Amino acid sequence: MDYYSFFAAIENSAIGAFVRETLNVLPIVNVFHVLGIALVFGTIFMVDMRLIGLQSVTRPVSRVANDLLKWTWVGFALAAVTGLLMFAANATTFYVNLQFQLKMVALAFAGLNMVVFELVTARNMAIWDGERRTPPSARFAGFASITLWVLVIILGRWIGYTKGFNFSAPPAGDLDLDNLFGAISLVQTAVG
Amino acid sequence: MMSIKKALFGGIACGCILAASAVPSLAHHSFAMFDGSQVKVFTGVVTRINPDANHLQIFFAPLDDARRAVIRDDNDEPQIWAVEMNGAAQAAQDGISVNGFAPGTIFSIGLHPLRNGQPGGDRGESALYKCPANTPPDAGEHCWDVEGSTVHGDGEIPHEGELQEEYVPE
Repeated sequence: MDYYSFFAAIENSAIGAFVRETLNVLPIVNVFHVLGIALVFGTIFMVDMRLIGLQSVTRPVSRVANDLLKWTWVGFALAAVTGLLMFAANATTFYVNLQFQLKMVALAFAGLNMVVFELVTARNMAIWDGERRTPPSARFAGFASITLWVLVIILGRWIGYTKGFNFSAPPAGDLDLDNLFGAISLVQTAVG
Repeated sequence: MMSIKKALFGGIACGCILAASAVPSLAHHSFAMFDGSQVKVFTGVVTRINPDANHLQIFFAPLDDARRAVIRDDNDEPQIWAVEMNGAAQAAQDGISVNGFAPGTIFSIGLHPLRNGQPGGDRGESALYKCPANTPPDAGEHCWDVEGSTVHGDGEIPHEGELQEEYVPE
């Protein structure tokens, strides 16, 4: 099974059909996707600004992070579930959509940035936790995080303006355009 | 003072009500890209459906006049056209869906072609006419001439050529 068939199967699934073919389901899912992203970006922005040293500088980084990041994860879970539902509804189109692909790359880098911060930069956080000015690696992580999440949002919104006629997408299924009607075309050939 | 929890859930509830009550819009963009003064009529075979939330698109290979093979371009590749209509949820109410118009489905449609010359168009005021499975129309005919064909969506039998009055969607 190639990738396109895999995404066609997702699109043809009962959940994909339910989301796109039931009136008003997609707009409601979309509302929660936006709410999830707002929660992710709103909370992570405040943590990143503390890392950069532009916000809440009198409070320890760990305290700001502990207060806010749990809501980031709530927002992320909401955005991920609703995003998967919207993806399932039109998977073959998203799969070949450049803006969607770039959004996933930006999302992966945002995740990588977070992992590097947690595993490397935050290891000695106790030393600089209460400092106004955090180490360069922490400031970089904050700046990269804001940049990448803004990119994710821009690309996500951009997708909605790119879905014109895409003639380069392959045909679905095993349709044989050379021999459409089997016996009928053979008869025609024989008669002709 | 209203608690934060109450405000949060109140806001989410308002969002849901607004989304649920939104009248599905028939058009969120201009139709200027389509030539509303022209109608092109096709009988073709579905190759793919793009069940987009805003505009469902059916990609198809038009059949030749004999209705026994697809039309090919100068490179001997099948020509592919596309017709666009309302969103996937509304189209599904008329039986126009990924499963209802699976690859291989033979159907007839009229469309207002794209002005940029690309092989696509908007369904406009034409209904979709689906032939019974594996039953192409006779030479020169369309699915509405075939016994057992089904009609999908509001609209009428399309006629090829110039319209007396340009089609302007509401």
